[in-house]
Amino acid sequence: MSDAKQEPTVLIVDDDPDIREALQCLLRSVGLESRTMASLPKFMKSELPSGPTCLVLDVRLPGRSGLDFQRELSAANINVPIIFMTGHGDVPMSVQAMKAGALEFLIKPFRDQDLLDAIHLGLARDRARLEREWELDALRERYDSLTAREREVMEHVVRGRMNKQIAGDIGISEMTVKIHRGNMTRKMQAPSVADLARMADRLSAAGLPGQTQNN
Amino acid sequence: MGSAHALRHQFGVSSIPSFGRVPLPVDSTNFDDKTDGDVAFSIGSSNRQPAELQTRDRHWPCREARFAPAHTNCIATLEELSACTVHEINQPVAALMTNAQAALRFLAGQNPNLDEVRRALTRVLQLGNRIVEIVDHTRALVHRVAPRKDDFEINEAIQETISLNQEALVKNDVSVHTRFAQGLPLVRADRVQVQQVILNLITNAVEAMSGVCQGTRELCVSTGRTNSDDFLVAVQDSGPGLDTQSLDRVFDAFYSTKPRGLGIGLSICRSIIEAHKGRLWASRTEPHGATFQFTLPQVSLQ
Repeated sequence: MSDAKQEPTVLIVDDDPDIREALQCLLRSVGLESRTMASLPKFMKSELPSGPTCLVLDVRLPGRSGLDFQRELSAANINVPIIFMTGHGDVPMSVQAMKAGALEFLIKPFRDQDLLDAIHLGLARDRARLEREWELDALRERYDSLTAREREVMEHVVRGRMNKQIAGDIGISEMTVKIHRGNMTRKMQAPSVADLARMADRLSAAGLPGQTQNN
Repeated sequence: MGSAHALRHQFGVSSIPSFGRVPLPVDSTNFDDKTDGDVAFSIGSSNRQPAELQTRDRHWPCREARFAPAHTNCIATLEELSACTVHEINQPVAALMTNAQAALRFLAGQNPNLDEVRRALTRVLQLGNRIVEIVDHTRALVHRVAPRKDDFEINEAIQETISLNQEALVKNDVSVHTRFAQGLPLVRADRVQVQQVILNLITNAVEAMSGVCQGTRELCVSTGRTNSDDFLVAVQDSGPGLDTQSLDRVFDAFYSTKPRGLGIGLSICRSIIEAHKGRLWASRTEPHGATFQFTLPQVSLQ
């Protein structure tokens, strides 16, 4: 499982071994862990690190262009921040890259500080993304532990229904609703109805079953 | 062995992906393994035919962005070769700088990691050597071209070069004068290469003058004979001219007086002229401007 608290990793994809070695050395000098790969296929075969990750990518790797690859990654829902490097980039290319969500577009040779700044920004973003994912995973786990009846009660509670109304809606006693509600809020670790509503929103926004508007 | 392959790799010609790489098409670049293991690099058509049957010019790739459209089906500058070299140099330069920056960072901490510094500096040296190799190869490429032996009128070749660049000259508000010596015998040389040199000198002159606001921008191209009866071609501009230091160094690879100059063009020009057993040099023009002149030996025609 991904974990925001793990050590960050920088992935370097460049077909030039000298560039790979130099970048790895630079990152070592600031205490950053890095992995290098010579090609995009090798990158695709490798497993993404579980901690915060940032990708430093040469735009013109043999085979496919880095920009096409960027589109493929986002299509595959891989949201690692990408920093592009190029031997001689032009303005349209950099605009295209930035529009497609690149974090930075650096022209070789570049200032080490520019790269490091971009990497730190990328890692911070990925860390935040992982934290959100981690929270969502935990939330989902809690939701999964609810019984069908508890989910039903939760659905009514977040709509602002009172216990008595819920009892009427689903045809059980108010006492039983209270018991289900108590179990549900304990399992969901929701201190208040407002918190519970926020959780329901997040689950719903993530497209998870249960708190759907049309179901 | 495999030197052609090594060069091909060195210059990335066959390995250049289409994605915006240097536009030096494979089909216009030949690497021929000679029997003696020497490598010839030629730019032009792969099946060389007599000049009258074929215009080599149309095989030249052109950088449309910088040159007039009229130019596209004709002579290209040395920029193709230069751009290719520059691309190849850019990678080791980037790697070299990154290693140097890393070494500084390793030195900066409380407890400098000297092992890392040593390793980084070793790589810096290796990369520096790689860059030198690339430069040497570029020079070697130009030197090793066995120049074609065309017999042609130098005045006509110059006039053609000027005509092809008329648009750039007009755009830059440069007036061109020619002072051609009449009755010159035919030059025996590689016509396209000589035209490349002329084009390069003209382009440099135009660029030098483009920064001049006052006074007229005049370009004078003249031909004549030296005392030893060699051909002499002079390209004179009314630009800011060259200081003493620049006069010494303009032909050095990677020396440029232009803010964005690559510093390769004149170095290759000199290589071309020297391959023809001629000389290329620069001098100051009074009261201002620079003159670039080259000679080509007169070869007795059979």
